[in-house]
Amino acid sequence: MLTIDGLTKRRGGRAVLSEVTFRARPGRVTGFLGPNGAGKSSTLRVLLGLDRADAGTALVDGRRYRDLVAPLRTVGSMLDGAGAHRSRTARNHLAWVARSNAIPRRRVDEVLAQVGLADAARTRVGRFSLGMGQRLGLAAALLGDPPVLVLDEPTNGLDPAGIRWIRGLLRARADAGATVLLSSHLMGEVAEIADDLVVIAGGRVVATGPVDEVTAGYRTLEDAFFGLTGGGR
Amino acid sequence: MGGAVAAELVKIWTLPAAAATALGTALAAALLTGVVAASADGIDAVAAVLAVVPPLQVGPVLLGVLIVASEYSGTQARTTLTAVPDRTVALVGKTTAFLVAVTATSAASCAAGLVVARVVAGGTASPSPVAGAAAHLALIGLLAFALALLLRALVPALVGALGTLLVVPPMLASVTEHARWLPDRAGSALYLPDSAAVLAPGVGLLVLVGWITVVGGAAAWAFLLRDA
Amino acid sequence: MKATDTVLAELRKSATLPATAVAAGIAVLGCAGIALLNAVHVRDAPAAGRADLVGYTAPAEAVFSAAPLGAVGAVVLGVTAVSSEYAINSPGAGGGRQVLATLTAIPRRPELLVAKALVVALLVAATAAVALPVSLAIVHAVAGPVAADGLLARSVGAGIYWMLTALMAMAVTVFARGGVLPLIVLITNSSLVSVSVLLAKVTPLAFWLPDLAGMRLFAGDLVVGADRALDAPTGGLVMAAWTAALLAAAAAVLVRRDA
Repeated sequence: MLTIDGLTKRRGGRAVLSEVTFRARPGRVTGFLGPNGAGKSSTLRVLLGLDRADAGTALVDGRRYRDLVAPLRTVGSMLDGAGAHRSRTARNHLAWVARSNAIPRRRVDEVLAQVGLADAARTRVGRFSLGMGQRLGLAAALLGDPPVLVLDEPTNGLDPAGIRWIRGLLRARADAGATVLLSSHLMGEVAEIADDLVVIAGGRVVATGPVDEVTAGYRTLEDAFFGLTGGGR
Repeated sequence: MGGAVAAELVKIWTLPAAAATALGTALAAALLTGVVAASADGIDAVAAVLAVVPPLQVGPVLLGVLIVASEYSGTQARTTLTAVPDRTVALVGKTTAFLVAVTATSAASCAAGLVVARVVAGGTASPSPVAGAAAHLALIGLLAFALALLLRALVPALVGALGTLLVVPPMLASVTEHARWLPDRAGSALYLPDSAAVLAPGVGLLVLVGWITVVGGAAAWAFLLRDA
Repeated sequence: MKATDTVLAELRKSATLPATAVAAGIAVLGCAGIALLNAVHVRDAPAAGRADLVGYTAPAEAVFSAAPLGAVGAVVLGVTAVSSEYAINSPGAGGGRQVLATLTAIPRRPELLVAKALVVALLVAATAAVALPVSLAIVHAVAGPVAADGLLARSVGAGIYWMLTALMAMAVTVFARGGVLPLIVLITNSSLVSVSVLLAKVTPLAFWLPDLAGMRLFAGDLVVGADRALDAPTGGLVMAAWTAALLAAAAAVLVRRDA
C-alpha cells in the first residue's frame, strides 16, 4: 500500500505539488495520469526518497522509503530510463544494484532474461537503444522481486510487443497481490490496464477512484482526462 | 564558411560554462598577478605577469575542452553535423571560432594582469614578453582543443591536458634538460626572456606548433572520417 | 540490508567503471615511468659531471618526486566515483543518471557516502601498494641502493597523501555534482606550480592548505619553502582535518539535497 498524504513542494517560489493525497492499493494497478509537468514525476521522486517535500508524507506500507531495510526488496522502481552509467555493461550495472540490497546474484541473469536483454548483458549501456534502456530499468525494478512497483512512463520507447509484454507483466503482478503505481500521459495505455485512477493537473489531484467512477459521465477515458485536467480545448 | 564560423561563435558565446571560463581566467589573472606583485619586493610588473602564466594555462585548456565536450555530452554533435554536413567546413568553422575566443581570453587575461601589476608594483620594462605570454596561452588552448576533439570526452581530455601541461613538466625539468621539448616548456620560450634551459623563441614556437600539428592532425583526421 | 552490502555494492560499482582502471594506471605507470626517468638521470648526472643540472642526487628522491602523478590518479579515482553518478547516459538509451538507481537502492545517504569513501580509500591504498614498491624497485635497479632511512615512513606518508587527496576530490565532487571543477582545482594544485605554492610565497598561512600540509608526509625537502612548512605529522593531521571537514560538509549537502 502506498499512502500519499498532503504532499506539498515548492521550487523557486512555484508550487510543484499542492496537497497531493491518494492511495495505491495492493492487488490493483493504479494509473497516475496527468499532462506533462503536472507533478507526476515530482510525486514519485518524493515517494522514493529522492526529493524532499515541504509538507506531507509519502509512505510505503506505513514507512518512509528511506527507512526501508532493503528497499529494493519492497519497492521496485523505474524513473527516467535505465539509471545506469554509460560505460558499464548491463550485467555489471545490475550486479552492483543487487549487491547493495543483498539480492542473490542469480537474480541478475534471471531478470535480464525476463526483460529480454540476455543477449545484451555484456553490452555497454551507452550503446543501448531507448527501448533497451527502458528494459534495463525494468530489470532493475524487478531485481528484488518486490511487492510494490513504481514505474514512471514504463512503455516509453518500447515497441508494440514490449508494451504488450509489460501490460501482461503488471497485470500478473497485481493479480498476485502486488501494488502497482504506473504514471503515464498516454491514455490508451492506462485505459488498457489500470483498475484505479489518480488524475493530477497543475500539482493538484483532480480525481481519484476506480476507473469507471472517474470516467462516469464521460464517453471515454480521454474525454474524462481532458474534462478533468481542463486541457485540450 | 562565414556562416559556420558565426554559428560556432554564437555557440561558444551562449555556452555559460565557456563564458564563465573566459571571465574567470581574466579575473584569476588579475588576482594572482596582484598577489605576486604585492608579495615580491622590487618585482617588475611584467615579471609578475609572467610568473602566473603556468597556472593561468588552466583557463585556455578548460575553454578548449569545454567547447568540444559540450558537443559530445549530448546530441549536439548530431545537430552540428546535420546543419553543416561538410565536415571540413564544420571543423574549420569550429577551430576558427575557438581561436577567436581563446585569443581574446588570453589577451584580455594578460592585459588585466599587466594593468593590476603596474598599479601595484609599478615598473617600466617593455611589455612585449606579455604579448608572447598571450600567444603561448592561446596556443596551449588550441592544443587542448585538439586533444578534446580527438578524445571526444571531457574527463580524459581534461586530465590528459592538465597532466601534460602542469603536472609532468616541473617533475621532469628537475632531472632532465629534455623537458624543454614538452609543449608548455617550448611555448614558454615565447615569453621567458633569457633562459638557457629553454629553447630560442623561434624554435620554441616551432616545437609547440609541432605538438599542435600532430595532435590536431590526428583529431582532424578522426573528425573527418569517424561516424558522428 | 547490512552496511557491508552497501560497501560491497560500491566496490563492485567502482571496480566495473573503466575510469577506475585508468586512474590506477595513471598512478602506477606514471609513477614508475617518472621514477625510471629520474633514476636514469640521478645515475648519469654525476658521472657526466653535470650534477648541477639535477635538483637532487639521492635515489630516494627519484621515487618521491614522482608522487604528484599518483595524486593525479587518486584525484581521478575520487572524482569519477561520484561524477559517474551524475553523468547523463547517452540520449539514445533514454538519458537518465545513475544517481537515481543508487539512491533508490541505498536511500540512507550518509551510509552511502561512508561506503563510497571507504571504497575510494581502499582502491587508492591498493594502487599505492603497487605503485610505490614498483617505483622503488625500479630506482633501486637503475640508480643503486635507496637509503632505507625514513623510507617506510615516507612511503606510507605518500599513500596517505594520495588517499586523503582522493577523499577530498570525492567530497568536492559531491558539491559540484560533476567532474570538471574538482578535476581542475585538484589536478592543478597537485602540480608543483600550484596556486598554493604561489600563495606560500606571500603568506606562511598557505602551509596550512591541505596540499602543502599533506605533502610534508612524503616530500621531505622537495616542498617549496620547506624551512617554513609544517612538520610531517602535523601536516598530515592538518590535511586529514581538511578532508574530514569536507566529507562532513558533503554529507550534510547530500542528505539535504534533492537527488
